[in-house]
Amino acid sequence: MNTELLNEISLNLQQGKAKLIKELVQQAIDEGIPAETILNDGLMAGMNVIGEKFKNNDVYIPEVLIAARAMNNGAQVLKPYLAASGVKAKGKVCIGTVQGDLHDIGKNLVKMMMEGKGLEVVDLGSDVAPETFIETAINENCQIIACSALLTTTMDVMGKVVELANEAGIRDKVRIMIGGAPVDEAFCRRIGADLYTEDAASAADAAAAFCAEMLG
Amino acid sequence: MGETITVYLNDKAVSVPAGTALKDVLRSESSLPMPCGGHGKCGKCRVFVTGSVNAPTDEERRLLSERELASGVRLACRVVLNGEARIRTQEAVSGVRIVSGGVLPAYEPAPFFTQYGAAIDIGTTTLAAALYDPSGALLAKTSRMNPESRWGADVISRMEAARAGKRDEIAAVIRQALSEMLEILALEAGVTASAIDAIVITGNTVMLSFLYNEDTEPLTHAPFIANRLFGETVTAAFLGLTGPLPETKVCLPPCAAGFVGADISCAVLSSGLLSSDETAVLVDIGTNGEMVLSHGGELYACSTAAGPAFEGAGISMGMNGGDGAVDRVWLKEDGTLEAHVIGEREAKGICGSGLVDAVACLLKNETLDETGRLEEDPAVILPPVRLTGKDIRMVQLAKSAIHAGMRTLIGAAGLTPKDVRCLYIAGGFGNYLDIENAAAIGLIPEELKKNVRILGNAALSGASLLLLSKGLQEDVRTLAERIRIVELSANPVFAEEYMEQMFF
Repeated sequence: MNTELLNEISLNLQQGKAKLIKELVQQAIDEGIPAETILNDGLMAGMNVIGEKFKNNDVYIPEVLIAARAMNNGAQVLKPYLAASGVKAKGKVCIGTVQGDLHDIGKNLVKMMMEGKGLEVVDLGSDVAPETFIETAINENCQIIACSALLTTTMDVMGKVVELANEAGIRDKVRIMIGGAPVDEAFCRRIGADLYTEDAASAADAAAAFCAEMLG
Repeated sequence: MGETITVYLNDKAVSVPAGTALKDVLRSESSLPMPCGGHGKCGKCRVFVTGSVNAPTDEERRLLSERELASGVRLACRVVLNGEARIRTQEAVSGVRIVSGGVLPAYEPAPFFTQYGAAIDIGTTTLAAALYDPSGALLAKTSRMNPESRWGADVISRMEAARAGKRDEIAAVIRQALSEMLEILALEAGVTASAIDAIVITGNTVMLSFLYNEDTEPLTHAPFIANRLFGETVTAAFLGLTGPLPETKVCLPPCAAGFVGADISCAVLSSGLLSSDETAVLVDIGTNGEMVLSHGGELYACSTAAGPAFEGAGISMGMNGGDGAVDRVWLKEDGTLEAHVIGEREAKGICGSGLVDAVACLLKNETLDETGRLEEDPAVILPPVRLTGKDIRMVQLAKSAIHAGMRTLIGAAGLTPKDVRCLYIAGGFGNYLDIENAAAIGLIPEELKKNVRILGNAALSGASLLLLSKGLQEDVRTLAERIRIVELSANPVFAEEYMEQMFF
């Protein structure tokens, strides 16, 4: 196996070289490296490094977004091969910024980090009604609902999401994760959500762990 | 609630029920600012506490040093009073720099008042007021910190408090502060406050709403539609202002939108932006960066959430521009940093202008790279003042919001920054800002630095004009109606620029 090529994919992804990533992924396919290996040891390995660096304050939002753009480019090339070899996503998440709130940068970061962990993410955008989270989770068979808010005045909507999930009786099948600048551990406990994480990389780690646990 | 206990706040005895939160006592007994709204996040409401109180919370263990905790320093917003206790608030920051209006542009004299007229600007951070006689002579000026800061440094925290039932209290506090300022103006001019027979009060939409005791709930969430945009004249009695006679006219100039307020309408009026044909941008750099572009007879405006980094909140050693604040930083020939401290004393923290300089210097001597990574974290500016990696990230968020807002606004008019002939900077921050450094860190586009005009408190100047030339009250109404709002949230151009400008 050409580990050097996989390494090259990881390194160039970290530097956000979107165009080159496409070529390198195609080259890896042509060399006969299995699609899943390219995904895990090339693309996702690179995103993991970026995620760690982000956690440690070594890189910031723009670098993550640029790396994620490169990741998307590589994943596009890989997609048909992954489907053909029967590789499934490691879990499914629906994510959105809650009703009344239009801030979506944090939400987008989390989404990209989650995709970097091999999860399928349904992006509901911003200003998302609590009902929409619940309906999507049920209709799309999501393991996780992820809610984001940047305003102290809109974060209470997350409590409503939890309430509706309780009413729908889906709490044993769907975990509710929350995040955003005004949110913290205490708030998470108060509204009865499953998990609060401090940054996008930790959110993705936790989501991957949840899915692994639930899907076995 | 249990028994009544006695606590001593700076030696003043106060009786409260056991179990009372210290922040509730402070909010009624002092004006200690709680920048994050009392959520235990910013670490700025430090007080000394001894006696029967709760143990330090997780938040305090995170935000306070071992030494601080050992010496009885607590975060006021986390303390619960269980029995007799003594609380000492740190000395109030003295000598805070507050910029009041600059020289007024030429106007047609037609006073809105007969004897004396007052102009007031309710800034989110500071209040400023001026008293005039019918000849247009400035008789007195006064300013102070906005007492609403006890409910948070930013408008969102305060609106949250209003929604939680504090609306009447907020209205009472701002009304009392303005009444006191009117008395002070009269006293300084040697007249009685009852001789003030007309007032113009400007401010952003939220500030005017608090004064009016209007519901701000619709401004706390998308789509941010204000109940009231003002542009009306009421009486002093209606606004609960004492001092002037109850029937005294009070003009509240019009706001253009929920987050483009009357302060901006007034700033545009006094800037001369309209009387010139040149393409120009006016920006007020604050927690919310509001900006207006004038081009070919059209006015475009937007508002961008920069956060309070340049006002000291969210920066580990940030503070306002008072004594002990590093306000200027420059590089010596050997590439090391040198700094000036307001009041020529030991440095306690760093204010907005110092922050811009410090970041520019760290970039120049390559302690900081263009992605915002510090070579050594934290970077010492002037002991004990230092900037952490996290502080730099806060600056990146703030400067990028302002810069990207400007580029998006300019782009919305089909222009590029090269087309802009002049940049007007309104608000107190502009007076102390080093323009070269502001461009170096990317707070403003490089292309705009060549022709900058500093306006000072342009909102107060605009309010003064409305007071001295009442015909302008019609003009400002038309102006506010003409402003086209460029929406930045969920705007893909802004999102792209915001990422782009986060680098240095």
